[in-house]
Amino acid sequence: MAKPKIATAWMAGCAGCHMSFLDIDEKILDVVKLVDITASPITDFKHFEQIDVGIVEGAVNTTKDEEVLRDLRAHCKILMAWGDCACFGGIVTSRNMFDKADCFRRAYIETESTVQGKIPSSDEIPKLLDRVKPANHVVKVDCFVPGCPPSAKAIFYGLVELLNGRIPVLPADMMRFD
Amino acid sequence: MKEISLTIDGKKVTGHEGDTVLDVCRKNGIDVPTLCEMKGLTNVGACRMCVVDIEGERRINPSCTYPARDGLVVHTKTEKVEKYRRLILELMFTEKNHYCMYCEKSGDCELQAMAYRYQMDNVRYPYTTPTTAVDSLSEYLAIDHGRCILCGRCVRVCGEIEANHTLDFAKRGWKTVVAADLAQSLGGSSCTQCGACLQACPTGAIFSKLSLYKTKLKECQRVKTTCPICGVGCELTVLIKDNNIVMIEAPQLTGEKGPLCRMGRFGLLADGHKRITSPMIRDKEGKLKECTLDEALEAAGSRMKKLGKNFTGVVSSRLPSETLSVFCQFMKQAVGSNRIDTMGGEAFRVITEGTKAFSKKSEGPEIECAIDEILKADCILLVGADPVKTHPIVASFIRRAVDRNQAQLVVIDLQNDVMPLWRDVWLKPRASSEATLLNGLINVILSKGLVKGKEAPAKLIQSLSEYNPKRVQSDTDVDAADLEMVAETYGKAKRAVIVYGQGVWHNRNSILVTDLLNLADLSGNRDGDRLRVISLKPAANSRGAWNLGAAAKDLSLNHVQGLYLLISDEQVDNDEVLGWLRTIDFLVVQASYRSAVTSTADVVLPSPIWAERDGGQYVSLDGHVAKSYRVIEPKTGLLQDQEILRELSKKMGHELSSDQEVSCGQT
Repeated sequence: MAKPKIATAWMAGCAGCHMSFLDIDEKILDVVKLVDITASPITDFKHFEQIDVGIVEGAVNTTKDEEVLRDLRAHCKILMAWGDCACFGGIVTSRNMFDKADCFRRAYIETESTVQGKIPSSDEIPKLLDRVKPANHVVKVDCFVPGCPPSAKAIFYGLVELLNGRIPVLPADMMRFD
Repeated sequence: MKEISLTIDGKKVTGHEGDTVLDVCRKNGIDVPTLCEMKGLTNVGACRMCVVDIEGERRINPSCTYPARDGLVVHTKTEKVEKYRRLILELMFTEKNHYCMYCEKSGDCELQAMAYRYQMDNVRYPYTTPTTAVDSLSEYLAIDHGRCILCGRCVRVCGEIEANHTLDFAKRGWKTVVAADLAQSLGGSSCTQCGACLQACPTGAIFSKLSLYKTKLKECQRVKTTCPICGVGCELTVLIKDNNIVMIEAPQLTGEKGPLCRMGRFGLLADGHKRITSPMIRDKEGKLKECTLDEALEAAGSRMKKLGKNFTGVVSSRLPSETLSVFCQFMKQAVGSNRIDTMGGEAFRVITEGTKAFSKKSEGPEIECAIDEILKADCILLVGADPVKTHPIVASFIRRAVDRNQAQLVVIDLQNDVMPLWRDVWLKPRASSEATLLNGLINVILSKGLVKGKEAPAKLIQSLSEYNPKRVQSDTDVDAADLEMVAETYGKAKRAVIVYGQGVWHNRNSILVTDLLNLADLSGNRDGDRLRVISLKPAANSRGAWNLGAAAKDLSLNHVQGLYLLISDEQVDNDEVLGWLRTIDFLVVQASYRSAVTSTADVVLPSPIWAERDGGQYVSLDGHVAKSYRVIEPKTGLLQDQEILRELSKKMGHELSSDQEVSCGQT
């Protein structure tokens, strides 16, 4: 049987979940023996190929995040969310407490280090969505590994469960929201 | 109580009439998840985590408010109730802004623990992300309303236990919020800063500014000790990590002394003051300089020996009896002086003198009742005392009595309208007319036939006959009608308690004490040898010090040549006292913190703070004996107070025996 293919994607998040993935250390060699990692935030493919497991980190914040997420969903059989941002929206949703225009003004004009700031307006740049959402509020997500970031142990647990043909649900003692 | 029998999860169990379904579950070891329930508080069914399926009911019901009855068939673990519990959790997380990753409470949070238990790895509902306020204007407490699940534990503990009713819910529905008074900031509200709400809060909504982000509380070691401040004698649980105090909690939040107070819960932690870690002596230029212990002891010892019986020793009665005893032993044996007093010793002398004049049999505070008498009282006379400031738990007791027993509260005070929101009437006698007022009260009780339990002595009736309400009014400015009303209220009450304090003894007028005891006795407020009268003694171990006789003698403090002042971590900021200290020729101060007192001293010796002290015995203001324990290791090289006294004694050529308990009284 061919090795299952996986791809990971990074939306609005800090990359901490991917760091935690790397924190599984030498076990990553076992993972690579068992699966093919076809795409990740360090590859630069514009679209996903057909894969078995899609993994997503980060909340849905911009039009690009939404596009990436929908593309990944369309190309994978099982979609797994990593980390509080993808599972719950996480720290990124604190933007929802403010008006979008206020966020732009604060970030691009009022920050203490900014002189003659300008809010970027190019069409090339993805647009901020009105509200930040967790992945499962945009597409169907099959399983979740929460944590900020999830521990390497939790990430490894999720992968092993999938490889064994089970949909992972973290046991209570492995659950972390921080 | 009638026993009832129910079937829970297929098991026959029993409870009692009046139990809720949750009570029966708890009694039978059946685990039901809860967030808003707290032992000792009224159940309100706010969080809905405890829902159970009860046969015959149309829908699931919260077990904490559902009265158990004979024959009920209850299911606590069906798929249906578990499904709803998880749904309720998801709704709680979407209702406000819960960000565990930077929340102070993460790891200690009951909401988080509950979500872990229910393996809540995603939320199906849209987040409301409301804009919520953070109130950080209180000295010790802060509230982040975004983390509040509206369980109401803070509201109930504030109302039912601290009985101050500062916190309550404001607004309705989605907008419901916990508010202080009429939606003020906590800092500008009637909040007493007892911190009970902090300990009751299951989430990070209410947090302590002093303990914030120090560590996870579940990783702390817990040590119980006795509060060294006011003499109520509250038990404290001190949470420590790596020899640092993280937080102070009440061992039983909803127990009698549960709320603790701002001084015990927070004041003990807030030491912004600079510690004294090394002995100091004043050099030739008049500057205080650090020196070795040997040099300091030499300097102190030689002068003290010279002055001998003229040397005076004053000790803080916040220290345990063991230390006080060694201090007395040191003064008498090594220094050879009987001039020993405690801070606040005049209270003892006034109380003792006043009690002796009342009855030859009892000599002092033994005649007083226990402070929990206040909780049973239906009338309280608060005389010259401000327990809100000095003994906050006593104030809480008084408020509870007003709440629960509809007790009448009468304040008699020259200046302050103490507890204005709680008292029924404030009698404000003109200065130095308090005795007239009390005589007037007794006279009304005598003339209206309100004397209970004993015959009023004819001599007393005779001597007070002239104190009729009209005359009292002209002498004290207290309205005659008010006077009569108060006398009747007090005289007719079934269990009336008199609480008095500093205002009674600060003019050294022991007649007031005698009058108060007479008032209680004549109106039948007596249980055997004890009268329902309590004096709010100045410090945690005042009674312990008095038992040792450390305040027995009224010293003339006008021309003190030499003084040994052991204040340890007590703060002295009274200008009068500071002025007096400056007149002393030779001053030795043993203290924990640098202060105006130590900068006046000729020799300064270091002292451990309350938490570093070896354990010892405290006698509470109502005579209850409690133990204190060492909570953390003293700062490096710091000796215990007794050890320094022993060393100093050795220097003066006298070896203090280690196990001899010495009374400081006149022998």
